[in-house]
Amino acid sequence: MEIDLGQIILNSLITSSLYLLAGTGLTLTYALSHFPNFAHAEFITFGAYAGYLFMDRPDGSFPAALGSGFVGAGILSALSYLLVFRPLTQRRASLVHVMIASIGLGYAVRHAIGETWTWGALSYQVIWSPYEIAGLRVTALWLYLILTAGTIALILHFFLTRTRLGKAIRAIATNPELARVTGINQHQVTLLAWILGASLAGLAGVFRAADTRLFPMLGWDILLPVFAVTVLGGIGSFYGLIAASLILGFAENFGVVFLTRAGLSTEYRMMIAFLVLIVVLIVRPKGLARW
Amino acid sequence: MAADPLIYVLDMLVFIGIFSLLAISLNLEYGFTGLGNFGKVAFFMAGAYTYALMIETGAPILVSLLGGATVAGLLGGLVSLPALRLREDYLAIVTLSFGEILRLFVKAQEGFTGGVHGIQVPAAFTAFVASPRLFGLANVVLVYLVAGVAFLFVQALINTPYGRVLRAIREDDVAVQVLGKNPVLYKVQVLVAGSFLAGLAGGAFAQYMRFIDPYMFLPLVTFYVWIALILGGPANNWGAVLGALVVEIFNRGTRIAKDYLVLPVDPNNLQFIMFGVLIILLLLYRPQGILGESRLRTPAFRRWEHGAADR
Repeated sequence: MEIDLGQIILNSLITSSLYLLAGTGLTLTYALSHFPNFAHAEFITFGAYAGYLFMDRPDGSFPAALGSGFVGAGILSALSYLLVFRPLTQRRASLVHVMIASIGLGYAVRHAIGETWTWGALSYQVIWSPYEIAGLRVTALWLYLILTAGTIALILHFFLTRTRLGKAIRAIATNPELARVTGINQHQVTLLAWILGASLAGLAGVFRAADTRLFPMLGWDILLPVFAVTVLGGIGSFYGLIAASLILGFAENFGVVFLTRAGLSTEYRMMIAFLVLIVVLIVRPKGLARW
Repeated sequence: MAADPLIYVLDMLVFIGIFSLLAISLNLEYGFTGLGNFGKVAFFMAGAYTYALMIETGAPILVSLLGGATVAGLLGGLVSLPALRLREDYLAIVTLSFGEILRLFVKAQEGFTGGVHGIQVPAAFTAFVASPRLFGLANVVLVYLVAGVAFLFVQALINTPYGRVLRAIREDDVAVQVLGKNPVLYKVQVLVAGSFLAGLAGGAFAQYMRFIDPYMFLPLVTFYVWIALILGGPANNWGAVLGALVVEIFNRGTRIAKDYLVLPVDPNNLQFIMFGVLIILLLLYRPQGILGESRLRTPAFRRWEHGAADR
């Protein structure tokens, strides 16, 4: 098999963009609420299904699907935070308890999705036909995905460094007590971060569903690499997350090429994410960066 | 469903026993030591597959069971090692991920694990295979023997000075460190022991099912064990058993409901939605479970208790 370097780089960028969109919410909520939210997978999945409301016909509007996934995942996240995670935190539930609750919430949401849309795989009805540019196989969807991730990264950079809300998020993540005494409304800011983060995960879900298929395990199936980039980037670090998404995106796509060459199953793709996770924990548990 | 009600009851007993064993193993790790192992299924699976592969080569049942448990135990220690120096959320992420990875690995290894097609496990009780009732009974005896030994082992362990160190680690591992004990060392040992027990459960499971495939080892199994333990009462072995009993009955109930009731929702989906909501409500309103933590049983403690009663 010939190695098509350009194509692999493009594929890597696609994977990285997806991880960046999916991981932003996880790293934000992890840093603000101090626990890894395993139900984050369902935010991704629910976004994808919310997008399906506009994608169940061939002439559906993709921007409308993105908007629907964005809003749908945001609402689900707000409810999760207000009804489950905030009450648990207020009752001083232990870290393990909150993690278990997030897994329980994930199962409940996943099966509610399965009940509503059935467990069979669905497909978005809008078709993205691939075309060749300079020898590369490209679809408009992939370009949109890379463009969206790039734009979001830029917007978030300015949001986190220039706006009051963005600075408040960083303040709470780095020093909650200090943030509180300076008059930041911790509850409100945390809620907004939960909504914003999950909304981006919802976008990731819509892109993922448009590129592959739609099923209740969609989010769960990419949760491991999303956790890997979150830990590799350093929990709560947005720039770290960008770097980590690129690293894992490239590692996975180049890894798959080597797996195929070595005659191994591409099922091992996930192991690359796991390997990254383990190595980070051994070598540098803080991850790549702090803010 | 089995036509013979006796076989149905035996089948249920076997599953309750296997679940209890898993819940006891999680209780040792989480209930007493505070370690959040979110990949219990991985060690259960490691035990099941190792057992299957060993018995295939003609090894005796006891050797195969212990072999499966040993492999599971070693994996448990090895996998958790990188996370044990860090906060408990890292252990959760690593163990959960490992469960998924191990399942992918088994799925991809068509050669010796049968991949997605699974593998047949040669029956160990060859004398009883002809009669389903006797086979069921033999398995009930085996499972409860193993679970009983595990129960007594954990029960005895937690009432020793070693067990008190474990409880102390759960409460405050810095304090333990100050007293000159190395918490990481204890945690590794507990995870090896806990995974060993989960591996035993896996072997017994493979032995009983006589066929295993990767779809029997979804993260769901881990979730069930957690529900059982939190429902029954962490840090209480009786609670672990009680929780396993309740969860298994709940499970059976859903399956029966599926056959006999016409519901507007799929009972399977409903079950998970209810389990999810139940665990959240439990954690909110009764995190100590039905039974709560068991009391210490040491000679000194008993003397103190009697003394208190005399006064």
